[in-house]
Amino acid sequence: MTAFARKNADKPPMLIYDKVRKNYGDFTALDGVSMHVNSGEVVCLIGPSGSGKSTLLRCTNALETIDDGEIRFEGKPLPKSDTETRKVRQRMGMVFQSFELFPHKTALENVAIGLTTVRKMDADEAHKRAMALLAKVGLADKTANYPANLSGGQQQRVAIARALAMEPHVMLFDEPTSALDPETVGEVLNVMRNLADEGMTMIVVTHEMSFARRVANWVVVFERGQLLEQGPPQQIFEAPTTERTREFLSHLGWNG
Amino acid sequence: MNLDWSIVWQSRWLLLEGAGVTILLTALTMLIAVPGGIVLALMRGSRFKPVALFATGFVELFRNVPLLLLVYWAFYVMPVLTGLGLSPFATGLVALCLNVSAYNSETFRSGINSIRKGQTEAGLALGMSKGEVFRQIILPQAWRRVLPILASTWVSLFKDTSLVSVIAVGELAHTAMQIRSQSFRVLEMLTAMAAIYWLMGYPQAKIVDWIHRKYGVRE
Repeated sequence: MTAFARKNADKPPMLIYDKVRKNYGDFTALDGVSMHVNSGEVVCLIGPSGSGKSTLLRCTNALETIDDGEIRFEGKPLPKSDTETRKVRQRMGMVFQSFELFPHKTALENVAIGLTTVRKMDADEAHKRAMALLAKVGLADKTANYPANLSGGQQQRVAIARALAMEPHVMLFDEPTSALDPETVGEVLNVMRNLADEGMTMIVVTHEMSFARRVANWVVVFERGQLLEQGPPQQIFEAPTTERTREFLSHLGWNG
Repeated sequence: MNLDWSIVWQSRWLLLEGAGVTILLTALTMLIAVPGGIVLALMRGSRFKPVALFATGFVELFRNVPLLLLVYWAFYVMPVLTGLGLSPFATGLVALCLNVSAYNSETFRSGINSIRKGQTEAGLALGMSKGEVFRQIILPQAWRRVLPILASTWVSLFKDTSLVSVIAVGELAHTAMQIRSQSFRVLEMLTAMAAIYWLMGYPQAKIVDWIHRKYGVRE
């Protein structure tokens, strides 16, 4: 593999995956994946459905436990105890494909709930913070809306604000635009791009190849639970080193 | 036929008191059996096998025994087994609570299970504990979904409280039966009793219908 200078390569990586394995019964979802993510990087995970990208993301914040190998976050292996796991999760924001906003709470309450429940912040202060975050994602006028009264793109932007409220060190995006109507994909990607510009560390599982091409600093290609290839977007999209990456990209209609 | 409806009017205060006991019994049962149902539902979902097994046993036992039998059992057997000498009212309350808790547990279990797993994950991802996720996210949503079923249970329970009349709890049915046996005004008292149950039950049923319309699951 060609040596490219990665962002913040002189500092210890924020996340290190070392031979990570995950099985679901007989199915091997992750088959010894090793990679790392530096702070401030936008790493896009691409590859066919069922190749293990989402599983890796879900193992990162311990929504799934790994069967072998190790994940190190900010220098320490992911903890075993519930209490410690909760502390780690507070430093990782997660955005889900299906938004998973809390339907019984307004947009504002959705963003504030982590602050009031987990941080025990008082409600006024939390709402002030939530208000500012909703403004940041362009939803200052929707604070009182319930999720059912928001478009998919708006819901996903609230979900991003909800994750940002905890001031995470890294944001995990699990196919954030896959459930969206085409006309609202752009607004979500814009918010994500702004985050990237601010220097947020991001891991993005995505099928949006143009986003990966333009915004990612590093692209990782998965297939059948293994890491097929990784590199800067120029390499992956213009000169992939494996035939399988080429096939996958052309399958998506990507032609450089 | 010689009918004398004046007996109903003469007994109005007794009947009213009986009706009051019926309502009190219904309300107290629900007050205990709703949290009881939630606790049982949580126990059934426990990773700790003996706890889950106990709750399953409890629910399957008390849901599948006829309520009337349960009332008799609580009256004759429970004191022997536990050494507790409860009043008929308390005994009736225990029997009703055992039965309704078991029903409510199933109601809550299905309500809780109907909430997508992603909701729990979204809460956990924010750093919430499992307890916080349950109280802040799952229960409020499940609550809305089970409210119509709980309301229906309330109306059934309201009528089923008449079963505790067999152990001389002074609720509406028992009171009316007492007056009947003392006055021999069988037709009048039974009719009056039916009318009072209906007058009280019908508005409740209407409220349930309204709750169904307002909170029924729409997705």
